Amino acid sequence: MSGFRFPVGRLPDEALLSGLATGDPELAEIFVRRFQHRVFGVAMAVTGDQQLAEDVAQQTFERAWRHAQIYDSRRGSVGTWLTTIAHNLAVDAVRARRTEPMAPEDLAPLLGAVTETPERWALADEASTQLRAALARLPREQARALLMAGVYGMTAQQIADVEGIPLGTAKTRIRAAMAKLRTALASPKGGGHVR
Amino acid sequence: MSGDAHCEKLREAGAELALGVLPGRERAEAVAHLDGCADCREYVRQLTMIGDRLIGLLPEREPPPGFGTRVARSLAEQAAGPQSARPARAARVRRGRVRRVRLRLAAAAATLAVAVGFAGWAVGSAVEGAVTASSSPAVESEPVLVGDMIPAGGGQSVGEVYAHPGSPAWIFVSVALGGSTSNGRVTCLLARADGTTTRLGDFPVRDGRGNWGVAVPVDLTKYSAARLTSADGTVLATAQFQKGKVEAPQA
Repeated sequence: MSGFRFPVGRLPDEALLSGLATGDPELAEIFVRRFQHRVFGVAMAVTGDQQLAEDVAQQTFERAWRHAQIYDSRRGSVGTWLTTIAHNLAVDAVRARRTEPMAPEDLAPLLGAVTETPERWALADEASTQLRAALARLPREQARALLMAGVYGMTAQQIADVEGIPLGTAKTRIRAAMAKLRTALASPKGGGHVR
Repeated sequence: MSGDAHCEKLREAGAELALGVLPGRERAEAVAHLDGCADCREYVRQLTMIGDRLIGLLPEREPPPGFGTRVARSLAEQAAGPQSARPARAARVRRGRVRRVRLRLAAAAATLAVAVGFAGWAVGSAVEGAVTASSSPAVESEPVLVGDMIPAGGGQSVGEVYAHPGSPAWIFVSVALGGSTSNGRVTCLLARADGTTTRLGDFPVRDGRGNWGVAVPVDLTKYSAARLTSADGTVLATAQFQKGKVEAPQA
């Protein structure tokens, strides 16, 4: 066919997802390439295991392909949808294989990773920047509880056991952290002090 | 327990529910309450969105070499039918090529569900940049028809059309019309060079914006343009197709 060459990078995420749903092999590869770093990043963060993360990432794309028709953009971007699938699969995989959902030494680096705001995030969307800033302002114990629950899928009881605190305290920390993030993201400038 | 008391209890457990870590019995009680309380549903929806965005902050990682190619090949094999891992479809495998084609078309039709309700999209520019910035040599792959949506009165583009003329054929339209068509529905037509048209369907726009992907049971190569009209038939915008090929980076 004559004509110009069209860079796949210009295809919107939703267009690629539509193509994925049709079973188009070329678009499937383009789709996977576009999102594989994000999906694999989530899987590695939760599992901490390269082989398990690879399995989870592959299952994520297979699930996205099978359920592309239920994707609803009103509930989030294609990327968010995929990372949510990856997260759920990763948490389930860890629960099925290990009694300990995380290695305690992993928590501090993870907290650093989700709160860093260097130049590399300068082009990130405003909401993500606000969320990072709000996370950075959380009291340390609340941020830890939030990551244990929100990233590693730990129940309040598991958090209480790891932190050596009463169950009620663990629940309060999760609730307080989420309430502060909600307030910060709802305010016009994304927050101010959330303490 | 009164409704307020139920709501208060939900607010205490809402964060754990939204993060997916609320234990079974408490979760069942919370979900039962949400069935009948719109305010609490909205509260949990907001918290769930925060949980999703928290996951979105996790750092990206380089997958093992060849991962993308392996996964894409696996998807293609499953899409082809015979090796499909879907248990519900296992018994259908031997029904031959015609049946598989129908399944593929059914999958394509399902993209309509992907499309309807699109309330806005943002091309992931950061990720897209990573793709386009790849130093890997490019290869031509799929044919594609693209066009800019130009308003009926002329002027700047108000959207884009991407059409894949393969089998199954599909089309994706993205517009930001504004003006009098801020909310409602628009009709999308495919136009041939001789002026005859084929109606694709009606699609929603909100705040002037709309995005739709839809499988099309026609030979797209016979069409020269896509056109959007209002409910009364007024032409809102037209995109003249240009033929091209998707250029994909090699593995």
